[in-house]
Amino acid sequence: MDESEDVPKDFIKLKSEKLSVAEVSELVSSPYCGAVSLFIGTTRNNFEGKKVIHLEYEAYTSMAETEIKKICRDVRQKWPSVKHIAVHHRLGVVPITEASVIIAVSSPHRAESLEAVTYCINTLKASVPIWKKEMYEDEYSWKENKECFWANSEK
Amino acid sequence: GGERLCPPQVSVLYFARSAELAGLRRETLRVPRQVTALQLWEEIVSVHPRLAVIRDQVVFAVRQEYVLLGDQLLVLQPGDEVAIIPPISGG
Repeated sequence: MDESEDVPKDFIKLKSEKLSVAEVSELVSSPYCGAVSLFIGTTRNNFEGKKVIHLEYEAYTSMAETEIKKICRDVRQKWPSVKHIAVHHRLGVVPITEASVIIAVSSPHRAESLEAVTYCINTLKASVPIWKKEMYEDEYSWKENKECFWANSEK
Repeated sequence: GGERLCPPQVSVLYFARSAELAGLRRETLRVPRQVTALQLWEEIVSVHPRLAVIRDQVVFAVRQEYVLLGDQLLVLQPGDEVAIIPPISGG
């Protein structure tokens, strides 16, 4: 097999349509990889006793894509055997139990892809300009990731 | 050619809570060519006073690089994007 035909790729997409685990897994599959690791972020139906009706996401799209590309570059530096990386994030309204984000990484052996997926989601939460609004029955709340260093720590 | 002396027009982008407080998502503002991040914030608040309440919770993104609201000197070019970035919650 000619490995040059399977150049490592980053698949980054922000979209309003429903995300597909099958599609994202397929994007990173490779005959050289024995492992595909996945993270799926889904929508919980409650927060501090309040019923969550749905989530709404918005993004500074161009910068979000750039920041995700930086994360992919960092992954490849830390785990050079990683083959493909896919990060799909949903924007707009996300109903309860549906996926907000899917991250998939392929590598020849499982340790690297498992660690890389963890690094991707943790770093995404700290650095990618995407915002989540949680809609309750009578009110809503802009969420703040604890990883975000400029959030109000008292919240 | 000579240096242009007039203050540049930059695109200011508002997101999440800052868009709600400012009442818009995007506008063009004429700002000083050289300004600290904090001074730029004060300029924007003078146009949208309701933004003052989130001052301690936002950073800027200037040409898509995060900048704290502090003493860092910004050299702005015409057409630069400056975004107000409330605490993020992706993922």
